Amino acid sequence: MSVKKYWKAIEDLNEDSVVMNKLRNNEFVEEISTEKFLTDENLKNGSTSRRDFLKYVGFTTAVASLSACDGVVEKAIPYVVKPETITPGIADYYATSIADGHDFASVLVKNREGRPIKIEPNNQAKYFGTTNARIQASILELYDNNRLKFPQQSEFEISWHDADYEIKTALTNKSASGKQIVIVTSSMFSPSTDEVILKFKKKYPTAKHIVYDAVSNSGALNAFEDITGTRALPLYEFDKAKIVVSFGADFLGNWLGGGYEKGYSKGRSLGDEDKADDKAGNKGDAEMLQHYQIESVMSLTGANADFRYAVKPSEQTYALIKLYSLIVGGYDGVGNLKINNTVIDAEVRQMAKKLKSAGDNGLVVTGSNDKNMQILAMQINIALKSKAMNLNKHVHVNKGNDKDIQQLIIAMNSGKVGALLTYNVNMVYSLANSKEFVRGLDKVQLKISMSKFVDETAKLMDFNFPTPHSLESWGDAMPIDGEYALIQPTIKPLYNTRQFQDNLLKWAGVEVDYYSFLKKFWQKNILTKKEGATWNKSLYDGVFSVSTNGNANADYERGLLKINIAYVVKKAVRFWNKTKGTELELYVKLSMGNGVMANNPWLQELPDPITRTSWDNYLTISQKQARELGLKNWNEANGAMNGSLVKLTKGNKTVTVPVFIQPGQAYGSVGLALGYGRKVGVKSEMQTGVNAYKFYKNFAKYSSNIEIEKLEGEHKFACVQLHNTLMDRDIIRETTFDKYKNEDKENWNPTVTVKTEKGKKQVAEVDIWKSSNIEKEAVGHHFNLSIDLTKCTGCASCVVACNAENNVAVVGKEEVRNSRDMHWLRIDRYYSSDMTKDVADENGLSGIGGTAEMYDKMEIASNNPEVVFQPVMCQHCNHAPCETVCPVVATTHGKQGQNQMAYNRCVGTRYCANNCPYKVRRFNWFQYAENDEFDFNLNDDVGRMVLNPDVTVRSRGVMEKCSMCIQITQAGILKAKQEGRKLTDADIQPACASACSYNAIVFGDINQKSSAITKEFNSDRKYYLLEELGTQPNLMYQTKVRNK
Amino acid sequence: MEVHKINTPLILGNKTYKDITDDVTAPIKNKAGKLWWFAFLLSFSAFLAGVGAIVYTISTGIGVWGLNNTVSWAWDITNFVWWIGIGHAGTLISAVLLLFRQKWRLSISRSAEAMTIFAVIQAALFPIIHMGRPWLMHWMFPLPNTYGSLWVNFNSPLLWDVFAISTYFLVSLMFWYVGLIPDFATIRDRAIKPFKKHIYSILSFGWSGKAKHWQRHEEVSLVLAGIATPLVISVHTIVSFDFATSIIPGWHSTIFPPYFVAGAIFSGFAMVQTLIIIMRKVANLKNYITIYHIQMMNKVILVTGSIVGLAYATEIFMAWYSGVELEQYTLINRATGPYWWAYLTMVLFNVLSPQLLWFKNLRSSIVFTFILSIVINIGMWFERFVIIVTSLHRDFLPSSWRMYSPTYVEVLIFIGTLGFFFTLFLLYARTFPIIAQSELKTILKEENSIAKNKQANQSKEIK
Repeated sequence: MSVKKYWKAIEDLNEDSVVMNKLRNNEFVEEISTEKFLTDENLKNGSTSRRDFLKYVGFTTAVASLSACDGVVEKAIPYVVKPETITPGIADYYATSIADGHDFASVLVKNREGRPIKIEPNNQAKYFGTTNARIQASILELYDNNRLKFPQQSEFEISWHDADYEIKTALTNKSASGKQIVIVTSSMFSPSTDEVILKFKKKYPTAKHIVYDAVSNSGALNAFEDITGTRALPLYEFDKAKIVVSFGADFLGNWLGGGYEKGYSKGRSLGDEDKADDKAGNKGDAEMLQHYQIESVMSLTGANADFRYAVKPSEQTYALIKLYSLIVGGYDGVGNLKINNTVIDAEVRQMAKKLKSAGDNGLVVTGSNDKNMQILAMQINIALKSKAMNLNKHVHVNKGNDKDIQQLIIAMNSGKVGALLTYNVNMVYSLANSKEFVRGLDKVQLKISMSKFVDETAKLMDFNFPTPHSLESWGDAMPIDGEYALIQPTIKPLYNTRQFQDNLLKWAGVEVDYYSFLKKFWQKNILTKKEGATWNKSLYDGVFSVSTNGNANADYERGLLKINIAYVVKKAVRFWNKTKGTELELYVKLSMGNGVMANNPWLQELPDPITRTSWDNYLTISQKQARELGLKNWNEANGAMNGSLVKLTKGNKTVTVPVFIQPGQAYGSVGLALGYGRKVGVKSEMQTGVNAYKFYKNFAKYSSNIEIEKLEGEHKFACVQLHNTLMDRDIIRETTFDKYKNEDKENWNPTVTVKTEKGKKQVAEVDIWKSSNIEKEAVGHHFNLSIDLTKCTGCASCVVACNAENNVAVVGKEEVRNSRDMHWLRIDRYYSSDMTKDVADENGLSGIGGTAEMYDKMEIASNNPEVVFQPVMCQHCNHAPCETVCPVVATTHGKQGQNQMAYNRCVGTRYCANNCPYKVRRFNWFQYAENDEFDFNLNDDVGRMVLNPDVTVRSRGVMEKCSMCIQITQAGILKAKQEGRKLTDADIQPACASACSYNAIVFGDINQKSSAITKEFNSDRKYYLLEELGTQPNLMYQTKVRNK
Repeated sequence: MEVHKINTPLILGNKTYKDITDDVTAPIKNKAGKLWWFAFLLSFSAFLAGVGAIVYTISTGIGVWGLNNTVSWAWDITNFVWWIGIGHAGTLISAVLLLFRQKWRLSISRSAEAMTIFAVIQAALFPIIHMGRPWLMHWMFPLPNTYGSLWVNFNSPLLWDVFAISTYFLVSLMFWYVGLIPDFATIRDRAIKPFKKHIYSILSFGWSGKAKHWQRHEEVSLVLAGIATPLVISVHTIVSFDFATSIIPGWHSTIFPPYFVAGAIFSGFAMVQTLIIIMRKVANLKNYITIYHIQMMNKVILVTGSIVGLAYATEIFMAWYSGVELEQYTLINRATGPYWWAYLTMVLFNVLSPQLLWFKNLRSSIVFTFILSIVINIGMWFERFVIIVTSLHRDFLPSSWRMYSPTYVEVLIFIGTLGFFFTLFLLYARTFPIIAQSELKTILKEENSIAKNKQANQSKEIK
């Protein structure tokens, strides 16, 4: 074989080339001039002596070594090999799902430099593609420094290897001795996990899997099982309903696993977004879902209803039976109960009439966990042939079975259980009969907890195995028949954790990791259901959908026949038979959920949308009952709210709890939120509220015979809104659907004018300023944001999204009491008042005294008020009052419409905050980051990993406020420019808009005629907040429309 | 025939030139009494407490005050405006009364000016320490910098404040000092101890009492008086712009400039009263600061107090007349809302209490005047508190309505400024000629008791 020869130059081909030879032999072609240098005669005359030379050498060495000591670079490690997909400064998005046992959502996770920093909804997901406040906040749970970081045996670290060996041996023994091995998990609707558990059961035949939901939906599951034979939930599709009657169902909050936001929003849409070009008058065919709510505690859902009736739980039952009898017929009276005499008889008749005429567009739902109530509601829907309750597409997000849990406790106490494996449940905390459970726990020899935290339950277990966060895990889910979702890790596990499934596989002796197992399982069982489906594509999408067929009406007739309604009604009524005294409703707050995320400061500080109170739970009580019992809420001199304390007693259980006087609370009932009062595995700051699970006996949401006794002392609340009514000011514009549809815009959304010497003029025409170029020329981008008050429900997920995106500091309970919350975006909640200017006129209240009396009465909310929500952030005024008053020009106007804050120029005179009519500016009263006084996520190396690197962490003494997410708009503009195309709406969605499940927040460039914001800008419903001031905001609101 | 009424003599006790020099330099020559030491230690410890509170604020953050997201200014700016207001009387007495040829100003002008300067020092503290980052206070000045085109915002009333106050302070200081020069020279000439002599000879700038010196002294005084006169109006006008140019109901009001100026003179005179009533007793100056002086000042208080009352009434009228609901609400809320007690204090102390001065026996009562002067200053403090806090705490959106209450740190800082003020004043009283003796001597001949008696006798004879 000949040696192939390569040549570099033409000379190479010439064998005897002189040049080439020379090059080959001499490495340095040119002569090195050392000779010349050394022989230089001038060198001798040089002034540099040997000693000088040594001095120089010595000095330079010293300098070199000294400079090496300087500036240790900490924790900045450059990539040796840069990962292909990571470009510093550019975010990556991964589709995955969050499933923490209480909430489920298909999400996109924003990753920067390998760190997940933000959760956004996955819009590809047909169902559960929305993020509530807890989902948004779950990113912070990932970086919780309180998480369990390594496997433990009796509080000592143990290696996985040793642990596996011990557990395998123990499990084999237990299985061999015939003792039960019980796995208790939260609701898992993961097909592959079911398979893993099967494998485990195969290895240990005595193994049993029990599902436990801290907040149970067993009632609905059992009801549906009774009707259809399948233990699942029906799929409620609110967009298909025209009339919704809800008996205490908080379906915008936590009802049946949640996820109903999109449907409701679609149902509530006025139909104007699709045809914004139409002028008024073309709204004739618009339809809007009408929403009735009958409830005791004021819920978010109730606050958004068109008609809300404050009715205590027992009366709700009677009302539902009454409704049933009116629609389906037959049950006018049960036993000695005269159903004719419900407290809202006329209203129920009205609802029945409407539901009947709506037919299959009607929907009745109930929030009760009583099976019988659920059956009644479902039966009404079946009778109506409701399109909105899909009986054939089942929802699996909740699977918990109350009976199994009670049996488990009995089995544990009788010593039948040999091993207890818990995963993602905290039964010691959340069981009403926690004491029995703990007693039973003593009789179990092998106790294994798999959890992210050492919580109340884990503390009592032999083995504590840390599990990774959803964002560090692999997994899958089937929340709804045919709708699959995948979970993929977005970061390498931060701690020495191992997934639940990996553990079971290991202990079952299956030597394969869960990822491979999952992939194989999908390729074999799931991807085969649809042609052309691939693993990678599904992983990329995060969701995978298989069309299921089935006729929604198939089961209706059968279902009706199967149920003995007389028996159901009797049982439903029996629950209230011995009712005396006050009734208690246990509810779940949007912020805290069932309590698993108690250690999350974002959620602790998130004000409840209704009470606007953070860092607490409390007994909500009606104004009337509070008066009777002498209970009070009052404000201290600095405005901070305090409340009386009461002793709440039910049977032998008591708790000391503060009262919160809640307008709209049904008289004779009180409410208390679950999910508070966590003590173990939770930082001391976050140990807030009282544990209401005590009263969650038999998982009954409602209970009666409650005694309330006033105690001495007071409780300090952290309430961010001290004033609850609108004072009859033009702040929220509201109209009825009828008026909106049929009347001229000026009647329900009048143009704001001012009187001048030249007659009435529109506000914009009266101006002392020269209009800027941006207004005159409409060049470049001009960003506007619109908030639709009809769609906004006040759910507050935008608030948490804003916290995450903009590194907003948590300030703690005491500072919230001092009215110094840092939220850039707040959601104002107003109640209606019985006193208005019209009423004052009628009653002849005039003159100074009369007016003072009128204003006094305006401050009092009605007994059952109408509620409005208004998200308020910086209005980005084109003529901003804050900009003119800053002495150092730290706040200025951007060319794209933003009102900008230069943090490093701010000296903190706070004049801008004073002069802001919207009071949206937030001042850094203290150093909130890296300060032990504020020991939240910003004071924690792990917690700080959640920080968005694009947004400055503000220091003490500077003003801050909403920036309209300028980091996002700038990045979007750059991206569009790089790709050589026009900016689209999708490039520039700020955190609040993308988090909004109801599509209430629309953002975009009004100089682009095709953008969604242009439609909002031209909408009839548009108005500006405090327009009469002439601030010319770049934020607009859309008039609230109530369907009544 | 109408009888010419003879004015009360301005200098009692048959004083000679030497007597005046002796009386005025007595506190400097003699050792301090127990009372002085007690007062000094009390004020100085209050001052130290204030320094501690300021250090705590600056090292920890403004959060140690009671402010919140809605009420971002409260005690800090209230104190600022209050002190600036107090600082008004001095210039008014020395400059404006000079133009009106009011001779009674002579025996009180020195102390009134000293008070002005010390009060302005207290006032100037607050804009600095109320800043979130006071170490960057130099950014408030149009200094050349390396940040490119970064400059101050000439639209901002806060910037106008910076100029107004610094100008006022400098002019007042110069005016005061120029007047002090001949008096310092007198002390220098009388001093026995070489150290003291040395200090006062430096302070007196080599004054030798030549005619040329006197001539130049008169000229400079006149020029400075000319410059100072518009400042009396401008300073508080500009301070009022902080509020008047904003959009907050209760602040946004065109009546503010005259209303603030009148209020400032009102409170300034009250503070002068407080100080000189003590001083005339302690330093034995009853012959120079007579009941007549006190009466004259009480008349100014009565007039300015009535102007302030009129301004309050005008605000109420305008709220009704303009038909602006927010404006109306703000006023009703002030009077009947959670801060009604502050409003009530303000009205009682500022509007009603000075009306008692219509009675001559009250007007010429030292005790009554002393009590009233303190009442007025409390009232004027509440006026600023009412304007600032009650306007802010309930403005446009009811969701942001809040309450404010001070923390001990704010209270300590206020007490600290009082301590600082009195510390300075007490030091001044022992080291400075507290009466402008050389100027006072110019009227001795016609304004002493002998001369007045003579005049009275003459007029009797004519009759």
